[in-house]
Amino acid sequence: MGQLAEYVSTLSSLLVRKKVETYVITFHDSLTGTVEEANGVKVVRVANPIRTNINPLTWDLTLNQEIERVAANIYYQENGRIDLINVYEWHFIPAAITLKKAFNIPFVYSVESIEDQRSPHSNTPYNMSIKSIEWLGFYEAQKVSVKTEFMRDDITRVYRVPEEKIKVLSPLSESWITDVLELYNSVAGGSEDEA
Amino acid sequence: MFTWEFPPRVIGGISPHVFFLSKSLTRNGVKVYVVTCDFPGAPAHEVLDGVDVYRVDSYKNPAPDFATWVYLMNLNMQREAAAIASNLKGKIDVFHAHDWLVATAGIGLKHVFRKPLLVTMHSTEIGRRDGLHTDTERMIHETEAWLTYEAWKVICCSDYMVSHVKWAFGLPEDKLVMIPNGVNARIYESSEKDNKSFRARFALPDEKIVLYVGRLVYEKGIHILINAAPKVLEKVNAKFIIVGSGYMKEQLLNIVRSMKLEHKVLFMGFVDDETLLELQKHADVSVVPSLFEPFGIVALEAMAAKSPVVVSDTGGLSEIVDHNATGFKAYPNDPGSLAWGITKILLDQDYNSSIRENAYKKVKKTYDWARIAKQTKMTYEAVLSESSRSFWK
Repeated sequence: MGQLAEYVSTLSSLLVRKKVETYVITFHDSLTGTVEEANGVKVVRVANPIRTNINPLTWDLTLNQEIERVAANIYYQENGRIDLINVYEWHFIPAAITLKKAFNIPFVYSVESIEDQRSPHSNTPYNMSIKSIEWLGFYEAQKVSVKTEFMRDDITRVYRVPEEKIKVLSPLSESWITDVLELYNSVAGGSEDEA
Repeated sequence: MFTWEFPPRVIGGISPHVFFLSKSLTRNGVKVYVVTCDFPGAPAHEVLDGVDVYRVDSYKNPAPDFATWVYLMNLNMQREAAAIASNLKGKIDVFHAHDWLVATAGIGLKHVFRKPLLVTMHSTEIGRRDGLHTDTERMIHETEAWLTYEAWKVICCSDYMVSHVKWAFGLPEDKLVMIPNGVNARIYESSEKDNKSFRARFALPDEKIVLYVGRLVYEKGIHILINAAPKVLEKVNAKFIIVGSGYMKEQLLNIVRSMKLEHKVLFMGFVDDETLLELQKHADVSVVPSLFEPFGIVALEAMAAKSPVVVSDTGGLSEIVDHNATGFKAYPNDPGSLAWGITKILLDQDYNSSIRENAYKKVKKTYDWARIAKQTKMTYEAVLSESSRSFWK
């Protein structure tokens, strides 16, 4: 859809190289199931069980249960040894929250953009729904990660998220992966080696 | 137990169903936690006769339409229920969802906690709409299908619904369980049957009361009753009292005006529980003219109130009422047949008395909540026994 796929692909393979066991759960309309990529990242793809949707919101909200299902499978398969969930954008915030509440696993909410930026000055019920999910994500997340200081400031301005809750992790920085691991460690606890 | 309505929030039949079922299950030794939507003035958590009731903020997220609101409400329901279940540390044995309105919360938590899910299908979209005509209807239908697929057992309140749900979602026979809906007959025993001053609020002394209780929507067939009214009035002096509201109200008012029967048909809107109970007891006949009726709780309530019933011979109503024994079954969508039944009950006192007595006996015998709770508990136990052999254990 955008640059997020490439970004998560790069990040996850770097994490594996740093000995962080990493599962990526994502959407695909037909190629569902679990595969281990050549770079060692395990990718689980799920489809939406509901084929007819009336808007992107209902598509998203019905897909979340499948995300929860496969995330729970990983949790039980790994005997509960999941230290952290990193959720990208608002789409799977509902699943992240349920998993947090059920298993006491903290999550980091990584933000590429917010609804206020994508649809400036739009306050239709549709936009407000997405904003309310974003708000819930900011409220429930242990930490928020963004790529630029501009994003941090905008989130602080729009959602009144405390600045110290937001970490700027620039993928252009040489210390990017180290910074990511530092953030993960601060949320999940333990040393970098255990992350 | 997940439900989108629980007293004091009452929208349809699910609210009283879950209210009485949860309390009766508790009396049968089942610990029940109900997670439902909030209601102004109702506490976020309370314990009612041993039932823990949690009300979630269901309007936290604005929504562009009703269906989207339902999925957003489920997000919040799931969030709260996940925390409750986690705090109970494995003490939840089964999740029980009531209708598609709580589908996603039930499905998600089933997988997260690896506990079996049961669903009671009170109705279906394809039945309510007499087909699937829009994307919203198709989406709801698919959600219902998904819910019944994910459920270990699907409970239906009538044999008609078992067969309908089996057809609508292609379910195997052994997945379906019929447990009837219930009625609390005791609440109708508390006050006198013939209170003239109460009656005078609605009808003249020489007018018989014909009562309709239900939403003013197409599938409930209220327009058929309105069209039957002139035929009834040719033979009996009666007042038609319509309790409930819905999108057909204006249309129905226009029909009544065109018939010049404004003085004979009284639209009450929603009434409080006490007034409704008294109206049911004072009704000379209660009419349920539905075109689609999975169960027909209103008929059962009338029978418990010893008001003789005329129902359309469809869905669950066909099973509740035995023709000429516990009520009169009219041809569906036939104002003439409906009028004939109403007139027969209002004019033939012997017929009227025998129907009332037989109906009351049937209610006490078959639709008692204690009996229904026992059947539900047995279903839970059967599911637990089966699921204990699954790879989840």
